Amino acid sequence: MKVPALRCQLLFLFVFSTGQRSGATRAAHREVEFYRSQPKTMEFTPEELELPPCKYEYLDHPADVQLHAWGDNLTECFEQVAVAMYGYMTEIDKVEILDKQEIEVSSDDMQGLLFQFLDECLFVFSAEPFLIARKVVITEFDKEAFTIKATLYGEEFDLAKHPQGTEVKAITYASMQIYDNPGQHELFVIIDI
Amino acid sequence: MKQIANVAALPGIVGRSVGLPDVHSGYGFAIGNMAAFDMDNPKAVVSPGGVGFDINCGVRLLRTNLMENDVKPIKEQLAQSMFDHIPVGVGSKGIIPMTARDLEEALEMGMDWSLREGYIWAEDKEHCEEYGRMAQADPAKVSMRAKKRGLPQLGTLGAGNHYAEIQVVDEIYDKWAASKMGIEEKGQVCVMIHSGSRGFGHQVATDALVAMEKAMKRDGIDTNDRQLACARINSPEGQDYLKSMAAAANFAWVNRSSMTFLSRQAFAKMFQTSPDDLDMHVIYDVSHNIAKIEQHWVEGKLRTLLVHRKGSTRAFPPHHPLIPVDYQLTGQPVLIGGTMGTCSYVLTGTEQGMMETFGSTCHGAGRALSRAKSRRNLDYTDVLNRLEQQVEHVVLEPLGHICGCVGTGTIILEDTILGGLERMGQMVTQQLHVG
Repeated sequence: MKVPALRCQLLFLFVFSTGQRSGATRAAHREVEFYRSQPKTMEFTPEELELPPCKYEYLDHPADVQLHAWGDNLTECFEQVAVAMYGYMTEIDKVEILDKQEIEVSSDDMQGLLFQFLDECLFVFSAEPFLIARKVVITEFDKEAFTIKATLYGEEFDLAKHPQGTEVKAITYASMQIYDNPGQHELFVIIDI
Repeated sequence: MKQIANVAALPGIVGRSVGLPDVHSGYGFAIGNMAAFDMDNPKAVVSPGGVGFDINCGVRLLRTNLMENDVKPIKEQLAQSMFDHIPVGVGSKGIIPMTARDLEEALEMGMDWSLREGYIWAEDKEHCEEYGRMAQADPAKVSMRAKKRGLPQLGTLGAGNHYAEIQVVDEIYDKWAASKMGIEEKGQVCVMIHSGSRGFGHQVATDALVAMEKAMKRDGIDTNDRQLACARINSPEGQDYLKSMAAAANFAWVNRSSMTFLSRQAFAKMFQTSPDDLDMHVIYDVSHNIAKIEQHWVEGKLRTLLVHRKGSTRAFPPHHPLIPVDYQLTGQPVLIGGTMGTCSYVLTGTEQGMMETFGSTCHGAGRALSRAKSRRNLDYTDVLNRLEQQVEHVVLEPLGHICGCVGTGTIILEDTILGGLERMGQMVTQQLHVG
C-alpha cells in the first residue's frame, strides 16, 4: 500500500494548506477518507498466499480426536498438523490470509517439540492475537537442538465470519507417534477436545 | 483398566485406586478415577493427570420458584435469552469486564471476588465446595501464558460437553432431602451449569506436566506412562502445582458464578421480575476434577490425604464438618449432570461411600461411541426428532456437537446411576432437561 499512502498524504497536505472547499478539494477529501477507512492489511507475496495441499486427516478416538499428518519430510508433517488443529476449530476454508505471526519453540526431544509447537499454535489462537492460521510455514527446524521457528498465516478469529467448530483444550502425549524415515514421514497426535 | 492399575502403582498411594462406574480412558489417569496419597509420606506424589486438564470442571444447580407450566409457553424465548446472555463455543469471549488486575484478584479470592463485585449473593458461597475459594491459591505461581489464555474467557461456558441447561424435576425419591435443597415438587424448574476453568485450567495443567517431567528425571520417579507425570508432594514442582491448581479452581468458581449471574439476569428479564423474587438460590456446586487435602479414616487412624478426583465427584455423608450447615442432616448434595437427551441426577453422600471411596462418586459421562462415530452413525434428523420428542425445543448449535452428545450419553448414564450408585449416593431427584 505504499504508493496510495503517499498519495493520500500529499492530498491531505494540499487540502489543509489551501483551507478552501472547492469541488476539487472535496473530491480529495473523499479520497483521503476512503484510504483512511480501509482496514490495515499486510502485504503478502503470491508465494505466501499460495495454499498447500491438504495432507492431514482426523482419526476416531472415544473421547477426543487424533490428528494424522504426513508429508515429504518431517517439516511438512509439522506444518500440516498445525493446520489440522486449526481446521478442527473452524472451517479452515473460511479463513483468509490477512495477518501473520511468528513463533519460536524448543524442547528436549522430538515428542516434546511437537507438543510445544502445537501448544504455541493453540496459545496464539486462545489469547492475543486470537489468530487462526490457514497456512503454517516452518522457517527453521533444528532436529538436533529440537527447536522450531515458524510463521503462521491467517487472520483474527471472528465469530461473525468463522463458524464455530470444536474447541481444542490441550495437546496430549497419548499415543503420540512421529515417524521420520526414508519413505515414511508422518505423525499422530491426540488433542483433548 | 490399565490406567487405573498404573495409578495404583504410584508412590504413596493409600487405599485403592478406584475406578468409578462411568470410568473411561483419559490421559495418565482414567476419567472417573480417584486416588488418595498420604501427605505424611515423603515419597507420595501429586499428579496433574489425576486432576484433569479442565481443573475444577464442575456442576452447579440453581433452583427457581417456577414450574414447568410457567416456562412452557415461552420456552424458546427463554432458551434464546440464556444463549444470548452466556457466551458459548470456540472463540467466544467473556462479556463481564475484566482487567489483568481483576484476574489476579479473582484467582486469589475465588468467589469472594465475585461477591465483592456484586455478581453473587452471599449465601451462594455457603452452598459451594470449599466455599468457592481455595485458600492456598497463589496467582504468582501461574504462568503468564495461562493468565493470557484465561482473561478473555472468564465468564464463558466453553464447548464440548459443557452446558447451561434449564431443567425440570422429573421424579423425587427422597422428599425430605429434596426439600432441604429447595426442591419442593415435581415440575419445578432448575438451572444446571456445567463448566470449568476453560483455557486457563488447561494451560495450568499443561505447564505443570512439562515442569514435572523435568522433575521426574531429577528425582528419579518412574511411572508406566508419560502422561502420568507427577512430582513429590513436598517438592517445589508439587507445591507450585497445588497452588496454581487452586488458582485455576478459583477461576472456575468465579466462572460458574459469573454464569450464575448471567442466568439470573436472563430469567429475570424474561419474567419481568428479579432473581430474588424467583428465589434462584444455588442448591450446590460440586467439582469433579480436583485434588483436595482431606482427612479420612484409614485402618482406624485419621490420616491427612491428598485426594485426586478426576471425573469423580466428592460425596460426603451427613454430619461431615466440611459440608454446609444446611445439609448437615441430609449429607452433601451430589450433582450428576446428564447429556442432551438424558437425565441429570441429584444425590446425597453416604457413609458407605465415605469408607469405600474416600467419599467419591462418578460425574456422569462416559461414552459408548466416539463423537465422530456417533456423528457418522446417527443421522442428524433422527437425533433432532428424538430430542424434540423428549424436550420439544432444541437450540440449534453446530449439529455435529448435538449428535456427539446424544448418541454417546444415553446408555451409559442410565445404567451407571440406576445400577451402581445406591451404595455411593442415594438418589434424590431425577431431572429432565427442557432447554
